[in-house]
Amino acid sequence: MDRINHHPILGERPKKEAVTFTFDNTTYVGEEGDTVAVALLSNDIRTLRHHEESGSARGIYCNIGHCFECRVTVNDIEGCRACLTVIEDNMKVESGKRLPNPLKQGGSFDE
Amino acid sequence: MSDLIIVGAGPAGLRASIICARNGLSVTVVDEYMKAGGRLLGQLYQEKDGEWWNGLQESERLYEEALSSGVEIKLGLSVIHIENSENAWTVHTNAELLTSSYLLLATGAAEAPQPIDGWTLPGVMSVGAAQVMTTVQRVKPGNAGVIIGISVLGSAIAMELDMAGIHIKSMVLPKKTEFNEEFANPLHVMESLSHISHLAPSKLIQWSSPLLKWKYMRNLSTRFFPKRGFKIWDFPVHLRKAALEIVGESKVEGVKVAAIDINGNPIEGTEEIIEADFVCIAGGLYPLAELAALTGCPFLDAAELGGYVPLHSEKMETPVDRLFVAGNITGIESAKVALAQGEVAAYSILQHATNHENFKEKVNRSVENVQQIRDQAPLSFNPHINEGRKKMQNSWNEWLNEHTKSSHLA
Amino acid sequence: MILCRCEEVTYETVRATKEKYQCDARELKLRTRAGMGYCGGRVCRPLLDKISQNKNERLESQVIPLKYQPPVRPITFQRMQGDHHG
Repeated sequence: MDRINHHPILGERPKKEAVTFTFDNTTYVGEEGDTVAVALLSNDIRTLRHHEESGSARGIYCNIGHCFECRVTVNDIEGCRACLTVIEDNMKVESGKRLPNPLKQGGSFDE
Repeated sequence: MSDLIIVGAGPAGLRASIICARNGLSVTVVDEYMKAGGRLLGQLYQEKDGEWWNGLQESERLYEEALSSGVEIKLGLSVIHIENSENAWTVHTNAELLTSSYLLLATGAAEAPQPIDGWTLPGVMSVGAAQVMTTVQRVKPGNAGVIIGISVLGSAIAMELDMAGIHIKSMVLPKKTEFNEEFANPLHVMESLSHISHLAPSKLIQWSSPLLKWKYMRNLSTRFFPKRGFKIWDFPVHLRKAALEIVGESKVEGVKVAAIDINGNPIEGTEEIIEADFVCIAGGLYPLAELAALTGCPFLDAAELGGYVPLHSEKMETPVDRLFVAGNITGIESAKVALAQGEVAAYSILQHATNHENFKEKVNRSVENVQQIRDQAPLSFNPHINEGRKKMQNSWNEWLNEHTKSSHLA
Repeated sequence: MILCRCEEVTYETVRATKEKYQCDARELKLRTRAGMGYCGGRVCRPLLDKISQNKNERLESQVIPLKYQPPVRPITFQRMQGDHHG
């Protein structure tokens, strides 16, 4: 998605240094001060992980650290909120993947 | 060990920190966001007098003021647990342990969920998320969006998106579920909108809003509202359309909507898809009180305040010794009320900590100030806020009566 | 319709469980896992509260129906250990 460079009230967006990081082994460029979530969104990436069990795609939901939907692995640390983590040069970000679930046989928790 | 730990670097927490630090307390503020300001950061709207309320600037100003007053501000730190021993609080965070004599919880509010089929798709976000992206982070949440939920908060943020040049295709009501009877009812929604009419450039809304305060007129006007919607701002608002489902394979592709009758029930055969690459869910706010709950503080459930609120006096004391609250944790109101409440909490804490007579007077004056600010607030999230505040005051008095009775017996 | 995004528990499941067992908030949570996911119920809690309570209870109670448990944010065992050592 585009950056909002002109704003009628807030004025021009200040220029920022470029920051290079990787997401699932692909290199992307964001800007200094960007969160992982925003840097990826500005590169048109919305899917930050897949649900552990169902594999459904997930992205930014609350953007302020409450919902943990945007959690990713940052420099090998799991469970980092992409919306609270500021990008750094050479940062390695990985999406959450669907996990094997050999024990569940499609039963319910009902009985 | 500091005299005071404040959880939450929003308007209430920062304002309180400045006053306490300037009056000699050592103060540490903790917030998990990397910028100070809380929900104030994203706020941008024009006031009745034409001046702009720029939350980003206000936040920066408060932050600088707190730093220069000697407040220690720890950002990017999440509080995970708090414990109260005889005369100290232990605050556990994801990186370190902090201790203090006094604790002020100014944790603000979380967005209330508004579940709908498809709401886990990437591209669906809370309206607050889109606000932060647009106004604070300056990245578009998408190219064309639909906002589900027509509320004070949602409308204020929709205007912000619109202002930043983001295309809002439509603002619609949510499908009626057992969770949202009010928010899915066109009449109820009209009433809540009438409280923000001054923010609408549309003369139609400005002109009609005083009339909307009468139930009969509301009824009439909702019936006459064109089914194709009307423009409050630059985007169409549909009080007679509801979102049934968010559609898309692996990300948002659109929203399935249908016309609804006067009671919010979908009319069969009117379904259509509005194409969109992002969807904002505007479900309102509820007080984020999890840390207060860990202290054993009693709660009051008051819909006017936004849900469960820790029991507190108008001086911002709680039944828990050395625990104070301020801001949206005490009920959903505007940032200006939160600032004023921060002031009350600060003087209450100072009075408690120093036993100085002159703080007593300041407490009383700041309590009066909160009510004045409330009465003038440009955004009122709940038209019955004063009733909610009264309920809380009654519950507090009841608690106090019981408490003093039992301590007399003992 | 999903209520609990973390655990992908649907409204239909939660509603049916409530009807079948007439359970309180805690039992509802344990039976369905709704509200037990990564976010700690911060997103779906108001929905679960609404389903699990009768209107009269809401007015009387000074206790939050679903107890909050520390830690209120997920944390690794490693960090937790570090935490205790200061």
